[in-house]
Amino acid sequence: MVRKLLIIALIFNFSITFAQDYEFGKVSKEELLEKEHPLEKDAHAAILYRNQNTYYYSGSGYANLITEVHERIKIYSKDGFDYATEVINLYKNRTETESVSKITANTYTLEDGKVVVSKLDKNQVFESELSYNFNQKKFTMPNVKEGSVIEFKYKITSPFIWNIDDFRFQHNIPVKKMIAEIRTPKGFNFKQTHKGFLFFRPKTITKRDNRVGMDMVVSTYDLTNVPSLKEESHVDNINNYRAGIMFELVSINIPGGINKSYAQTWEDVAKIIGNSSDYKNQLDRTGSFDDELDVLLKDKTDKFEITKLIFDYVKKTTEWNGIDGKYFQNGLKKTLKEKKGNVADINLLLVAMLRYAGVKANPVVISTKDNSFPFFPTLERLNYVVAHAQIGDNQYFMDATEEFSDLNLLPVKDYNWKGLLVDNDNMVWRHIDLISPQKAINNYMLKVELLSDGTLNGNYKARFTNHTAYDFRKDYEDKSMEEFLVDRESRFSGIEISNYEVKNAETYAGPVSEAFDFNFDNGADIVNDKIYISPLSFLKMDENPFKAEEREYPIDFGYPFNNKYFVTINIPENFEVESIPETILMKLPENLGEFKYMMNQKGDKIQLSANFEVNKAIIGPQNYLILKEYFNQVITKEVEQIVLSKIKGDESAESTVGGR
Amino acid sequence: MRVLTFQLDLPMRIYFLLFFSLVTIVLTAQEENYQSVLLDKELTNNADAILRLDELVVDLKSRDAMTERRKKVITVLNKMGDRFAFCIVGYDNSRKIKNVQALVYDVSGRQIDKIKQNKFQDVSAVDGSTLYSDSRYKYYSYTPTQYPYTVELVYETETKNTGELRSQWTFMNDFKMSTEKSKIEINFNSPDLRPVVKEMNLDGLGIEKDESASSISYRASHLSAIHNESMSPSFLEIAPHIKIRPVTFQYEGYEANISDWNDLGRWMSVNLLAGRDELSEATKRMARSLVQGVDDDLEKAKIIYKYVQDNTRYISVQVGIGGMQPISAIEVDRVKYGDCKGLSNYTMALLKTVGVNAYYTHVEAGHEKVDFDEDFPDLAQGNHVILAIPYENKYYWIDCTSQSHPFGFIGDFTDGRKVFMIKPDGGEIVTTTSYIDEQNYQGTDGNYTINDDGSISGSIDIQTKGIQYDNRFGLEEQSQEKIAKYYQNYWENINNLNIKTYHFDNNRDTIIFKESVSVSATNYASKIGDRLLFVANAFNSNKYTPKRYRNRKLPFHIQRGFLDEDEIAIKLPQGYKIEALPENIVIENNFGSYSCSYEEVSGEIIYRRRFFVGNGKYSNNEYEAFRKFMKDVTKWDNSKTVIVKS
Repeated sequence: MVRKLLIIALIFNFSITFAQDYEFGKVSKEELLEKEHPLEKDAHAAILYRNQNTYYYSGSGYANLITEVHERIKIYSKDGFDYATEVINLYKNRTETESVSKITANTYTLEDGKVVVSKLDKNQVFESELSYNFNQKKFTMPNVKEGSVIEFKYKITSPFIWNIDDFRFQHNIPVKKMIAEIRTPKGFNFKQTHKGFLFFRPKTITKRDNRVGMDMVVSTYDLTNVPSLKEESHVDNINNYRAGIMFELVSINIPGGINKSYAQTWEDVAKIIGNSSDYKNQLDRTGSFDDELDVLLKDKTDKFEITKLIFDYVKKTTEWNGIDGKYFQNGLKKTLKEKKGNVADINLLLVAMLRYAGVKANPVVISTKDNSFPFFPTLERLNYVVAHAQIGDNQYFMDATEEFSDLNLLPVKDYNWKGLLVDNDNMVWRHIDLISPQKAINNYMLKVELLSDGTLNGNYKARFTNHTAYDFRKDYEDKSMEEFLVDRESRFSGIEISNYEVKNAETYAGPVSEAFDFNFDNGADIVNDKIYISPLSFLKMDENPFKAEEREYPIDFGYPFNNKYFVTINIPENFEVESIPETILMKLPENLGEFKYMMNQKGDKIQLSANFEVNKAIIGPQNYLILKEYFNQVITKEVEQIVLSKIKGDESAESTVGGR
Repeated sequence: MRVLTFQLDLPMRIYFLLFFSLVTIVLTAQEENYQSVLLDKELTNNADAILRLDELVVDLKSRDAMTERRKKVITVLNKMGDRFAFCIVGYDNSRKIKNVQALVYDVSGRQIDKIKQNKFQDVSAVDGSTLYSDSRYKYYSYTPTQYPYTVELVYETETKNTGELRSQWTFMNDFKMSTEKSKIEINFNSPDLRPVVKEMNLDGLGIEKDESASSISYRASHLSAIHNESMSPSFLEIAPHIKIRPVTFQYEGYEANISDWNDLGRWMSVNLLAGRDELSEATKRMARSLVQGVDDDLEKAKIIYKYVQDNTRYISVQVGIGGMQPISAIEVDRVKYGDCKGLSNYTMALLKTVGVNAYYTHVEAGHEKVDFDEDFPDLAQGNHVILAIPYENKYYWIDCTSQSHPFGFIGDFTDGRKVFMIKPDGGEIVTTTSYIDEQNYQGTDGNYTINDDGSISGSIDIQTKGIQYDNRFGLEEQSQEKIAKYYQNYWENINNLNIKTYHFDNNRDTIIFKESVSVSATNYASKIGDRLLFVANAFNSNKYTPKRYRNRKLPFHIQRGFLDEDEIAIKLPQGYKIEALPENIVIENNFGSYSCSYEEVSGEIIYRRRFFVGNGKYSNNEYEAFRKFMKDVTKWDNSKTVIVKS
């Protein structure tokens, strides 16, 4: 990490810039002649310059948030043509909408040594209604060729003055020069939080703005040569690592005027949520629960049992409509009636029912992984709510939107660091740790009959717990048996499955187990009277998921796991064991994982017991290379072969016997 | 077959209509109960959903007035069936939705939700590659709380474009969906509005037909679901449906009377294409200067095509009649972008300027070959436009939306299928270039060295032609990172593969792509004591095993064949000798052939492989044999060689 920062700091110091003119229309021949990006030769396009200016303006009595954008993009190759289309999404609600104006755009192309300018025609700007919440303006540049530079500017006017969009400094293509400025009235305190792996600071000054008649705080970000952002596997959400700034209004202090504090700490945020009517009044409004619940809970006194029953009941009777939210979409009454709703409808209904049954239950408001990492106290960026119950010393987290979730077994997206416990009754508003996902234990047992022609016949038994069971169930539910088996056979490459059995896949509690008989035609290789076979057979790992040379982001496995294998191979008559792979034990540092591989032989039976584990759901990038090598070693070990040789005529048979 | 045809005199017809409309009302009233407690086994078998009722009434009131009334009721049996319950109705500036409504019923047939028009989502029909379209749709997606459930969609639309009469009616909607009742009725106010109907795959299904002087209708009931299987024919090739086309119609103000493809070609040419090919004088001069000194028409065409590829890009904007008519050449010339129609028309205009003929051609593009129906001239067939250039009694085909394909090479997007070529004075059906079997060639030549520690290093030359060229030549444009990923995936049998160098040579004249790659990998051979065990065939291992079906029902189709030839020399580490070579194999069968051989030549192993699969259509019974062939190839491809320290 330190090394990375150093490199970036160096790039900043030695920025390679020739005298640049960033005025609109002043595109240089050098820019047009440039064949490739000097630092990222593979880049299809680059942002040569982007200037973004966000400020408040009040005309005709209404304040608006204005953002002026000026961008210049170089297109290096045909794959960069995508960047010649600009899409502007404009948020709207029932009464107000954002708008864009003053679109000016040119394409510059070098033709026979001369700069040709092609202007964007006004009637080539298209507006469409994208969805309920968004309009969209789109335009694509005329006369774009490899080598062209395009340039556009426009102005967005937003009536949603307290929601300042994130500043995005890092894009999928490199940026040569980026200037972003924000002006906010003094006294309106916006917290500016930095994210990503790049290091930068704003220059902040206060100056008088006579148009508004107020002192303004001006922050300017000036960045040079921002590298492109690259996608990698096992990433929770790439946007968490994109360099940028997030804004959140924390307070308004105007001397002699308003003095209002918004969320400055997580506790403040929790209080604001707690004071909303959804959380304040609704959750204890239990009159509408029907008698079904009373019947369900009749004669039950154990709090844990009651919690389980109610959780189960909510999961069974309601359906999530796929929409996130920390506030109601339908409200408790409608949710009960229609049996469906958004996340808040379902999980707050669960909280309310638990409270009704005397369980100490509260909502915990979170941001899911696909939304964003909750870096700093924020109200806007929390998108989800789960239920929390305290029974004695134990705490339980619940998410009733997913059929196969359980107490403390949540969908993987929910495990995102911390959440806000909102307990109005006890005046507790706290930033609490979410539980970590439990380790998934996967037991595999293979009994293999090896035939002298290289065919394997055998029996497979497996048992999965926690999230592997959860994943199995979701997969199993979504497919017909036939499709499921086809998938199973393609995952366990080479085998044909018969007598398939699965247990406990249609409920959510406890482990799932599956069993089948298999036939594997070419499971072993026969060369020159010898048989070669990898003991893990179709269960071995084939490919290292980690291929990149280095990595900047944490590796997110979703949950820790331990795969345990127990394999017994019966060798054919007239064959004897020539060699078996050696036993090894390998450990990752910081107890991150362990791989154990133990073989032994008894008569005509060979046994393998192996153990492959990763003990943490999320592993930091500093351990990436070790982890990559760990997987590599595991693969190398797993392909090692047992060698059997044919017992030769009488005399050699005797010596073999003697050897034993 | 039980198709009923009625030839009726006038009074009889009135009676007949009355009778049937009465029956319809009675039946509809009864069917309002969409319970799904008791469902026919025949309908639930293999099905994720049941089309309980699909009823369409089309009224062709005049040449420029058409209404559609649709009622579609679907019972969804399980989660996989949810996709069928999506309620969607498209519209645009010409086609208006008069009303739309959805109802939801629970398992007992009790109505549990009613969604009125204003509760439907209303969105633009743009997709990824479309910048703008004035087509829109209204949709509603129900969140089920239990299965089964039933969704009923009712809507009515009207349009003045009778040319947009729906081109087909499928009595079944998709794989894995059965039909309880499906009915279409087309009423026409005058005999000239009578559409032509062609029946497809209706045999033996008891589909009834009624026809009179003012109406055509079909009804089907109790059709069991079909299970989709890999390599099977497309749904439309096996599912019962009718094709429908208007003879006399109006489309965006243009009148038409079509009896054959020639008529349709003339109509397109006169109304939608004529005059779209004008260019500015400056552009004409530019085009002429490009081909200055070139006499041969084909050479001229190549130059113009190259110019279009280098100077334009694909962007689709669909406004007004943009669905059928190209943007004018002058406009494309100005902005340098367009969709398939605009770019083809623009190229055609440039070609015309330099005296080369080219014909605008409608095609159904896609990996799967779909033919135009020779005796069914309608506007609905096709989804793409390419150009045909006639030269010495042959057509050269170009796709103007591609910036990288060589001249005359169309790849598997539009190859070997019947297409509709439009000439100024008419139209005709012709077939595009096919790439058959051996023409889809890959030759791999290489050598590698095995080291004492099991690692390997070597260099490989790959040459591809035909469809295999089409799959490969795009590599040229990729970034180093993507190229490395591509080879790591292509040679996924080699772990820890490191790409040391690569070089590509794309010969656009001979249409051959050459890759020269040098690689290394650790732990390729497994070390067992003094022995090294490895697969000699490191660089072209069959990865494809057809899915196994316990009971294959549908026939299968290999659309394009291919031929692979490999020759690899393997150097052994110092001090090793061969202990065992795999056996040499020769397989020949209906589907193709496979052979591999191992030969020791002055201390090296020479591995040779030839794998050929021909195109063809086969019955379901032959599927298992094909699967076995592929499995055997995989097996022999992975034969192990053992060398030992001497």
